[in-house]
Amino acid sequence: MNLNPYIKAKKNSVSAIMFDVIIALMPLVLAAYAAFGFKAIWLITTAVITCLITDFLFNALYAKKYNSFLDGSAMITALLLSFTVSPLTPWYVLAFGSFCAIVFGKLLWGGLGKNRFNPALVGREFMTAFFPLMSTAAIWSTNSIRNTKDFHLFANDSLLGMYSNDLVFKTTGALGEYSMLFIVLGGLYLIIRKRISWHIPFAILTVFLCGTWLSSACGLELKYSIAGMILGSIFMATDMPSSPNGYPGMLYYGGMIGLVSIFFILGNVRFEYLSYAILLLNGFTPFINQIFRPRAWGEKVDYAIKTEKIFFLTLAIIAAAMAILTLHYYGFIKYLIYIYIVYITFKFNFSFIKNIHNPI
Amino acid sequence: MHINSLKHITKHALIENIPDPPEFYLPLYGYKGVLKTVVETGQYVKKYELVAQAEDLFSTAMHAPASGIMEGVEIIEGKPHLKLVNDFKEAAIDLSLQQSEHLKPLEILQILKQYGIEGSGGARFPTHLKYSLGHQNVDIFIINGAECEPYLTADYALMQNKTEALFKSIISIQKIIKAKKVVFGIEKQNKELATILKSYYSLCDFPVEVKLLPNTYPQGGELQLIKSITKKELPKGSRPLEHGIVLSNIGTLWAIYNALFQNKPYIERVITLSGEKAIKKGNFYVKIGTPVSHLFDLSAADTQKHQIVLGGPMMGKAITDYKSPVTKGTGGVLILPEIQNEKYNCIECGYCANACPQRLMPMEFARYAKTDNKEQLLSHRLTDCIECGACAYICPSDVPLMRSIYHGKEILQNTIAL
Repeated sequence: MNLNPYIKAKKNSVSAIMFDVIIALMPLVLAAYAAFGFKAIWLITTAVITCLITDFLFNALYAKKYNSFLDGSAMITALLLSFTVSPLTPWYVLAFGSFCAIVFGKLLWGGLGKNRFNPALVGREFMTAFFPLMSTAAIWSTNSIRNTKDFHLFANDSLLGMYSNDLVFKTTGALGEYSMLFIVLGGLYLIIRKRISWHIPFAILTVFLCGTWLSSACGLELKYSIAGMILGSIFMATDMPSSPNGYPGMLYYGGMIGLVSIFFILGNVRFEYLSYAILLLNGFTPFINQIFRPRAWGEKVDYAIKTEKIFFLTLAIIAAAMAILTLHYYGFIKYLIYIYIVYITFKFNFSFIKNIHNPI
Repeated sequence: MHINSLKHITKHALIENIPDPPEFYLPLYGYKGVLKTVVETGQYVKKYELVAQAEDLFSTAMHAPASGIMEGVEIIEGKPHLKLVNDFKEAAIDLSLQQSEHLKPLEILQILKQYGIEGSGGARFPTHLKYSLGHQNVDIFIINGAECEPYLTADYALMQNKTEALFKSIISIQKIIKAKKVVFGIEKQNKELATILKSYYSLCDFPVEVKLLPNTYPQGGELQLIKSITKKELPKGSRPLEHGIVLSNIGTLWAIYNALFQNKPYIERVITLSGEKAIKKGNFYVKIGTPVSHLFDLSAADTQKHQIVLGGPMMGKAITDYKSPVTKGTGGVLILPEIQNEKYNCIECGYCANACPQRLMPMEFARYAKTDNKEQLLSHRLTDCIECGACAYICPSDVPLMRSIYHGKEILQNTIAL
C-alpha cells in the first residue's frame, strides 16, 4: 500500500545531489590539468578507478548491491582525496589511500550516508600513517615537474594584478588548490543548488581569518594554505553524513573547525591541520545535532541548560584537540589509525553488517 | 518549503454538476467513532432523509443524498459504509423552510448539528461543537482559504464563484461567535481573489480583512495558518479557541450556507478532479458517498499505471477499492501516475528537517521507529508531527519516513492505551 505523499520533488535524488557536487568539482580537475598536465589527470584517474572498483566489490560481496557504486559518492571521494595530495605522490600510494577511503571511511560504517567521518580525509590519514613520505617537505617541491608557466589573466606588473592572478591560478600546494576562483565558483554553484548551505564555510573561514589576524597581531607567523582552507571548508567540511544538519549546529561546527585548525597550526602541525580539525569535529557531529536540535513548534526551551550543554561540548572538543596535538607531537597518530582499523572492523562484523540493508 | 502548486490546471474552471452515481456508499465514520444507522436494510429512503447518526460526544449525522433503497453496511478498505441504490426519482422529504435571516444563535447550532455539518478540510470535526464557545470570547475568526495542497482548487472555485454565499454564511456564524474581526487567509498565488472578496465587505457590520500568505507548504495547516495570521505559535494539541481563535474552512462555510439558506443537509460538496492521468478535469458538485469508480469513469482516465488519491497529493490517501467514496472531508480526487523512486540510504542531508513545518527531525523517526524505541521517539517529539508529508516529499533517498511516522505513532498510541 502506497502512503502519502503521492508526488515527489523532481531532480532531487541522491544521485542528482552527487552529480551536482561532481559538476562543482570539475573545474578543479581542469585547473590541475593546466598546472601538471597528464600527470595530474593520471593521478585523479587512478583514484577514481580504485574507488569505483572497491565500492563495487565490497557492495557486491557484503550488501549484494550491484549498482550502488554508480551513485556518485565514490567518485566524489576519489576526486576530493586526489585534490588533497601533491602531484608528486606515487600512484600506488594514492590507490592505497582511495581503497582505504572507501573501505574504512564509508563501507565498514554500513555504506553510503552512515559514515561518521569524511571518507576522503580518512583516506588521506591512512596514506600519511602508512607512507611517511607523505608528510615530508620533499613531496611538496613540485616546481620541477610543473607543466606550464603561471597563467596570467591580469597584467602582472602591479600588486593588485599579481594578487588577482594568484586568485585565478597559482600552482602551489595540493592538486585541488590551484584555482581559488574555481573553488569558490564550485561552492557558489552548490549553494545555489541547495546542496550545501553557506553556514559551514562561512563559519570556518570567519573564525579562521579572525584567528590568523589575532595571531599575527600577537606576532605569531602562521603557515597555512588559504586555498586549501577554502577547498576544505566548502567541499570537505560540508560532507552531508558527517556534518550537522541544522543551521545553528552548522555554525557552531564550522566555528569550532576554524578554531581548532588555528590551534593545530599554532601547535606546529604542518600539513594536516585542517583534516585533523574536520575529522575531530566529524566525531562530535551527533552530539552537535542533539544539542542544537531545532526548537519544535510551540516548544519552550530552557536556554540556561542549553548553554551549559554547549559549554561542556566545547570543553570536550578542546580537550580532544589537545589530545590529538599531543599524539601528533610524539608521532603517535598512526597508532590512532591502527586502533581505528581494529575498532571499525569489529564494529562492522558484529553490528553494522546487520543494518546494511536499512536505509538509516 | 515551496511545492509546485499545479493549481492552474483547474483554477479557472467553473463548478459543474455531474450525474449522480447509481450506487452510493455513505461513510459511517466521522471525526471519532462510528455512526449508527437509523434505517433498515431494504427500506426505501427519500432524499435528505436521516440515515445514520452518532449521539456521542462528537455527534454528527448522515443524510441520504438521493432517494432509493438501503442495502445494508459494506466494509470498504476496513471501514463501514452504508450502501444506497439510487432510483433516480429524486423523491425528497419535505423540510420545513426556515426563516434563515432571523435564526437565533442556538437555532443555528441546532441546524448545524441536525444537518451533519462537519469541518471540510479533512479532520471532520463537528462544526456545531467548534462554535459552542462556553464563556470564551473570540478575537479573531479565521477563514482558511489557503488550500495548500497542490492540484486542489475546490475552495478557490467557491471563493471565486460563490462569494456572496460564503459571506452570508460568515454573517450567520458571527451571530454565534461574535468575533472581533474576520480574516480570510489566502495564498499569494491566489491574490486575485482578494479583490472579489473585498467587494463584499459592505455586507458585514464587523471588520473583515484578507491576509495574503506565503505560497509555502503546509500553509493551510491549522497551527501554521494561525502563526501567519496572528503571529501566535500554538503548541500542537492546544485548542485555538482558548487563545480566542476560531477557524473554518471554505468548504465548511459552503456546507453551512446550504444548511441555513438552501435548507439542505450536508449531502454534497465541491471537489477538484485532477491529476496527470485524468482527462476530464475541473471542479464539481459531488454528492457525499459517490464512489471513486463513478468519478474515474467520468474523468475518462488513462487506466495504465495510475493511482487514485482521495484528497490532496500530500496528505491524501491512495485507494485500492474503487468503491471508496467521497466523504465530507474530501477536497479532491486525483488520478496520478505511480511514482517510481530511487531508494538510497539516508545521507543526513537534513532536507527533511528543513522542510518540517513543526521543526522536527523526521530522519530520527525513521531511525527509532525501526527499533521501536519509544523513549527516543517521544524525546524527538513524534507526537508533534502533523503528518503533512513534506519530509517524504523532499527526501532524496526516499527513506520510508511516513511509514516510520505512522508506525511510531501507532506504538506510542498502544503504550498510552496500556
